[in-house]
Amino acid sequence: MSSLKPEKGMQYWRSLDELAQTPEFQEAVQREFPNDEWDRLPPATRRQFLKVMGASFAFAGLTSCRWPKEEIVPFASRPDGRVPGVPEQYATAMEIGGSAIGLLVTSVDGRPIKNEGNPLHPDSLGALPATAQADILQLYDPDRSQRLVYRQSGQEFVKSWDDFAAWTGENIAGTGAGVAVLAEPSSSPSVARLRARFAEVMPDGSWYEYQPISRDAERAGITIAYGRPLRVHAHLDHAEVIACFDADPFFDHPAAIPMSRQFAESRQPSTQGISRLWVAEPAFTITGGRADHRQAVAGSAIPRLLAKLARELVANHNLALSEQAANLEPAFGPVSSEGDAFVTGLAVDLMSHRGSGVILVGPSQAPEVHALAAVLNQALGGVGNTVSYTEASDPERPSHMQAIADLAASVASGEIETLLILGGNPVYDAPADLGFTDLLAKVPNTVHLGLYEDETSQRCSWHLPRAHSLEAWGDGRAWDGTLTLQQPLIEPLYGGRTVAEVVAAVLAESTSNGYDIVRETVAPVFDGGDFEKSWERSLHDGVVKGTAQPLVAVELDGSGLAGAGAPLAELVAAAEPTAERPELVLTADRKVYDGRWANNAWQQELPDAITKTTWDNVLQVAPPTARDLGLSEGDVVEISAAGSSVELPVSLVPGQAAGTLTASLGYGRTAAGTVGNSVGSDVYRLRTTSSPWLVPEVDLRATGRNTILANTQDHFAIDAIGFGARNSRISTLVREVSIDRYLADPEVIHHMDHHPPLVSLWKDKQYEGEQWGMAIDLNACNGCNACVVACQAENNVPVVGREQVINQREMHWLRIDRYFKTEPGVGPLDVDDAEIAFQPMTCIQCENAPCEQVCPVAATQHTEDGINAMVYNRCIGTRYCSNNCPVKVRRFNFFNYHKNLEEVEKLQFNPEVTVRSRGVMEKCTYCVQRIQNVRIAARNDNRPLRDGEIVPACAQTCPTRAIAFGDLNDPASEVSRLREDNRAYATLVELNIRPRTQYLARLTNKVGGGKSSGRAPAHHGEDPTHGKETG
Amino acid sequence: MNVDTTTRSPADDDGAKLYGYVANFDKIDEFLDAVTKVRKAGFTKWDTHTPFVVHGLDAAMGIKPTKLPFLVFGAGLTGCTAGIALQWFTNAFDYPFLISGKPIFSLPANIPVAFELTILFSAITALVGMLAFNGLPQLSHPLHSSRLMKRATDDKFLISIEAADPNFDLIKTRELLESLGPLQVEAVEA
Amino acid sequence: MSTSTPASSSYLNNTTDDPTRRAPLIVGDNDFHSVTNAVCGIVEMPKTPPAWWIAFFISVSLTGVLFAMITYLITTGVGVWGLQTPVAWGWAIVNFVFWVGIGHAGTLISAILFLLRQRWRTSINRFAEGMTIFAVVCAGIFPGIHVGRVWVAYWLAPIPNQMSMWPNFRSPLLWDVFAVGTYATVSLLFWYMGMIPDLASIRDRAKSKVRWFIYGILSLGWRSSNRHWHRFEMAYLLLAALATPLVLSVHSVVSFDFAVSIIPGWHTTIFPPYFVAGAIFSGFAMVVTLVIPTRKFFHLEEIITLRHLESMSKIMLATGMMVGLAYSTEFFIAWYSGNSYEAFAFLNRAFGPYAWAYWIMVSCNVLVPQIFWVKKFRTNLIVLWIASILINVGMWFERFVIVVSSLSRDFLPSSWGYYRPSIVDVMTFVGSFGLFMTLFLLFVRFLPIVGMAEVKGVMPQAHLKDVAAQGHGDYHGDILTEKGEV
Repeated sequence: MSSLKPEKGMQYWRSLDELAQTPEFQEAVQREFPNDEWDRLPPATRRQFLKVMGASFAFAGLTSCRWPKEEIVPFASRPDGRVPGVPEQYATAMEIGGSAIGLLVTSVDGRPIKNEGNPLHPDSLGALPATAQADILQLYDPDRSQRLVYRQSGQEFVKSWDDFAAWTGENIAGTGAGVAVLAEPSSSPSVARLRARFAEVMPDGSWYEYQPISRDAERAGITIAYGRPLRVHAHLDHAEVIACFDADPFFDHPAAIPMSRQFAESRQPSTQGISRLWVAEPAFTITGGRADHRQAVAGSAIPRLLAKLARELVANHNLALSEQAANLEPAFGPVSSEGDAFVTGLAVDLMSHRGSGVILVGPSQAPEVHALAAVLNQALGGVGNTVSYTEASDPERPSHMQAIADLAASVASGEIETLLILGGNPVYDAPADLGFTDLLAKVPNTVHLGLYEDETSQRCSWHLPRAHSLEAWGDGRAWDGTLTLQQPLIEPLYGGRTVAEVVAAVLAESTSNGYDIVRETVAPVFDGGDFEKSWERSLHDGVVKGTAQPLVAVELDGSGLAGAGAPLAELVAAAEPTAERPELVLTADRKVYDGRWANNAWQQELPDAITKTTWDNVLQVAPPTARDLGLSEGDVVEISAAGSSVELPVSLVPGQAAGTLTASLGYGRTAAGTVGNSVGSDVYRLRTTSSPWLVPEVDLRATGRNTILANTQDHFAIDAIGFGARNSRISTLVREVSIDRYLADPEVIHHMDHHPPLVSLWKDKQYEGEQWGMAIDLNACNGCNACVVACQAENNVPVVGREQVINQREMHWLRIDRYFKTEPGVGPLDVDDAEIAFQPMTCIQCENAPCEQVCPVAATQHTEDGINAMVYNRCIGTRYCSNNCPVKVRRFNFFNYHKNLEEVEKLQFNPEVTVRSRGVMEKCTYCVQRIQNVRIAARNDNRPLRDGEIVPACAQTCPTRAIAFGDLNDPASEVSRLREDNRAYATLVELNIRPRTQYLARLTNKVGGGKSSGRAPAHHGEDPTHGKETG
Repeated sequence: MNVDTTTRSPADDDGAKLYGYVANFDKIDEFLDAVTKVRKAGFTKWDTHTPFVVHGLDAAMGIKPTKLPFLVFGAGLTGCTAGIALQWFTNAFDYPFLISGKPIFSLPANIPVAFELTILFSAITALVGMLAFNGLPQLSHPLHSSRLMKRATDDKFLISIEAADPNFDLIKTRELLESLGPLQVEAVEA
Repeated sequence: MSTSTPASSSYLNNTTDDPTRRAPLIVGDNDFHSVTNAVCGIVEMPKTPPAWWIAFFISVSLTGVLFAMITYLITTGVGVWGLQTPVAWGWAIVNFVFWVGIGHAGTLISAILFLLRQRWRTSINRFAEGMTIFAVVCAGIFPGIHVGRVWVAYWLAPIPNQMSMWPNFRSPLLWDVFAVGTYATVSLLFWYMGMIPDLASIRDRAKSKVRWFIYGILSLGWRSSNRHWHRFEMAYLLLAALATPLVLSVHSVVSFDFAVSIIPGWHTTIFPPYFVAGAIFSGFAMVVTLVIPTRKFFHLEEIITLRHLESMSKIMLATGMMVGLAYSTEFFIAWYSGNSYEAFAFLNRAFGPYAWAYWIMVSCNVLVPQIFWVKKFRTNLIVLWIASILINVGMWFERFVIVVSSLSRDFLPSSWGYYRPSIVDVMTFVGSFGLFMTLFLLFVRFLPIVGMAEVKGVMPQAHLKDVAAQGHGDYHGDILTEKGEV
């Protein structure tokens, strides 16, 4: 143990070697880490260790701004002008699933506190998905690995990087015979370069790439269609008809943000009309939630549906396929599209918009389906307009499933002596049929580099702490290939290193620290010119301009397609699943993705966009299917297939395909950390190499147990009365109308109000000066949850945990209300199909705020600029305001939710927002701290505020720019313009509360202008006034 | 009816030490007649003591109505004014804030508190005023040492005449009382 | 038959009563002295009966539970209760309204029945006033502890503070502070003032020096001087006149907590009268619940007669039907207003997730009192006692239904919820009964539980024959008439 102390010290301060020599530092070390503290610590108790470390992290944060200034260039202002306490933003990047997304990270005194999107980055455009925002919590996660561990015959030894270097020197040498690397796929040119070096230095070594969730099927499908792997780019801004077959372009795609934004823009009302979205999918996705026409189709029936479409187009619309595609004809030729309104309607639509239609197929569909889609896109003339292709990086690589299978094979044959697992967590997420865990035990030397001491690390002889992306230098490529630079914002808190650094070290490269590696890699990119200048420029921007991959012209490949005919025919012929023999569709989780964010409290507490479930993964079942199986909400069922089984609670989701069960991956972790351990169930256990996304025939057995799901909405099985009232209210709360009706009568939205004239008893208050207001465009919002996490990060919103969510005490200031719109007169349990309406709901800042008058101590009152302010230190916690809030957006601290935070976790707090303690009410403030910052800046420059200068966190990160904020007294402001829009309406206007936040009604574009509210529920007896307009 | 007229030997009759005479009755009508007679006899410093309020006794003694109601009315007005003033000062003058877009000062919202304070002030005044007028609390009083007085809170009706009364006469007054047919007459020491 | 007719209705309806013969308010051959003995006897008991000790022990233990729960609450946070969003007020507020309601009977009996010259009130008013004070004490606890930061609850009072901020007088909660505060104070004054002469009785009968001293202090040296009685009566009359609007205002203000809000099911103009009727209803029920065992245990049947109980059961019948009327009116208005939210709120009450609570309320508050149409039940102590308890159960559920069912489903279906109390909620409520009973037991043991002076004043012996013959009775009334003469 005593050996631990210097190591920890050294490891911790690694980058400050020169500083380490100084007496001040020695003294500091003594002060920070008294010897006796150290000797008492067994290596096992990392958390205990942390408590001791606690205070010193703040110190780390401060010292971390000591890095050489020229290395890092702030985005907002140059660091030489650094003022303590003034937030600065730096451009950097992170990788998700082998594609880099650009970040703009806010840092205060050397502490990164918030991830935002980099506006210059093609996949970010300034926005960021919830996952990438929440990733900052991993940085400060006390459960993150903090030490190198060497395991031998059941014993654990804490080691140093030097020990590891020595070890590799002995064990990984020569031509690398028996050495294998299993790496997470990475878009990083540096990693690619080092991988090439590895191939040179160790020709006999082997390098595998695996990740559980990938777009390999698409890649394979394109290879079939065009003879070589290409990357598909859909341009929804050019598309008038979008057909998604089990595809979720708004969420489950590296370019989800640009696509979401393009789509949102294509839905803005114009006399030419708006684009139309067709979605066929087994389970609701947020894309499905935005669909004009949606059909719930079993995962195994998607190929048939696409085949029907192909047949309809070819046979009934004489769409000419190129002769190479003729080989596919037998696959869909025999299929009949008779009576399938979805297919026939879609076919007509596509034909009438030739060249501006696009067919997208999801990554969980077989390659042949992608091939067929490519053929159809080609035939419909979409290629070059709505679809384009770029060369895929690393064209030679096998699919990830193939790679891991190959590795398994060579391990089984005993070829592998030493296995370096760089990132990833194969023990947890490798396909079950490989038995990877047992195989790993066969390898004498195993090394795992990981952020956590996770399932894999625990079974490896070496564990190496990995540096978080905010701690390290790196690079990567966007989906379109744009070169993206990653710069650290803080010294590695736990002495981690990156994949590139480790590989370089293993290869004993001359340059082995990240900074030099990256510079060396990008050097050739800046051909000519002053390197330092371009380097600085690129760091500042976060991207290297003009490095996107060029589009390539494509030519269908007959031979490939010829081979696809038979397998496609097989897929098309697949039998429909039934309630008795249901199929199980696996999906990437919308919150923890493949499990990597399992220990992320924000993500765990984030309500799923569709099920609204937190802290769990569920088995989504269509209500009728559940009825047939005799299941109800929360029943725990055992799903078994191929010998393994998993237990999951049932969640009834309208719009789920009959006979199809859906469960998301990434839960049931056993070594994720204190937050993520044993949350939900691990459905990887049902996953096979051959069919990673679809488990055809599963056995379902009710365990007889029932659990309460931690849902933030629909907390209990709804009774008939509540169900009726809910349905009757949706159409007025979340207003929507067909584009045709809207164009015919622009006033239609306003006619949806039914209330007597709103007269006040007193003279209305006149608001002078800046008056803040917000407009939320429901026509743009797709319920992706990005704003929810942005708000949580910006405003230090606490996480309350599963129990408290069950008690309905979640603290999110901003929530996204999700309503299922169902056929009139259908009972709660008979709902087979539904539409979804999303409504972001936060404090709507009523001018006549009901909450204010009831507060006995005036802890909530109106500011002169029209914000309904909450004075935390005045609040005594009567909760009367919450009772009187018509939209129930006020959140109460029933306990001190920050009490159990580790010191290091507190580093993430936004210093500009009070951390609320127990007993006080809190709620959305329109990000008043941001308003004040801009105000102060403007005042210093002695200039008026500019419209769009103040951006609340939610608006800043919205991928679809659905949220506009500004001054209502400035007629030129965006928000004023939007509030003048004919679609603008106020919720609960009949209460005369005068909300400052207004909504813009959603537009639908069904074929034949079918009224959006065709599904509007019947008007119930107790509800005479509502929904009349929509009937 | 056994009348014990000599509670003490005439020998040590001493006006200086005497508070007065107390006579007790147990029949209401006899008592009332006696009271009327005592009043007619022109005494001023005298009183009656009863376990409860005896109907018609005030008339018999000729007691003037008390001023208490005016006092209480004044207190009520004060309370009401105080209530309004407090709310105006705190919410409209000293620290006005903008609440639900409502006027800074509006009477309707201020009525309940004004009303309650009116009642509070009046009620306290009623009790305190009553005690003050009655000179209570007065824990030590010669009558408390009277033997007959013990039953005044139970079932007997008493008349007490103070020696301090100008018409008081050691002999005549006792004879007067005895002539009224009391159960007993007691001389109470000061 | 004539004796069965309560005085309360005699001057309204002389067909049921023979005006020449009054039913006696005190039965048996009691004289003033025997009344004094009966009442003071309780206080002077040489040895406290074991039954009292047992009851007292239980009550004190429950009080301990109450304070344990409060300590836990304050050290941990209001999260220990079942509260949530949307139902941010739960049992604490329900209990508050419940206890305040009970606290209405006393002042009502003392003040309103006094002004209405209901002579029969004299036997029970002291008792009821005592109960009022204790109920208000229990009620006062809940708003105090239900706030999130108890240690700054004093900000509710207009006290100058470092923030130089004042409370917001637009908030009904602040009106509550003043209303309940005033009510507690005035009830206490009224109670104590009425007790002064009786405390003097105990003093004058005191055998032990200690008792003589204590009651001597408490009775402020009262010497039953008629000159004092005169002002005493005036003060009593004034207090009664002040307490009458006060008692009506208190529950009205409490009802403002709900009526002033915008929540469907709360935002109702019918609330003030509806709450007051309910309060009187529950108050009388509680008096009956307590008085039946007490009069039996301390042998006060001759003073607190069956007629008193019967009169109270008639009042319960009347107020119970007022409450029932209020329930139905709410539904009518919900339908008639055409306000869909309100319509739903009431449908939801009766048939939604909280229907069970609603129907308990209706059966206890509207159906149970109907048995009081039958004289047999009015005069059957067992039936009366059980009914009175059921009525209080029903009244508690009335508050539960109003508070919880309205909140649990308001405007946005997305934020609907279902409230479940925690064990702490339950124990706190049970504990509050402990506190109530503890105070009550101390009261019956150490203070005169019947207003002797007033009872004596309404006994036949208290009147001149001719006066009695004229049917004058209530000496207070006579005071009023005397005014003119003097």
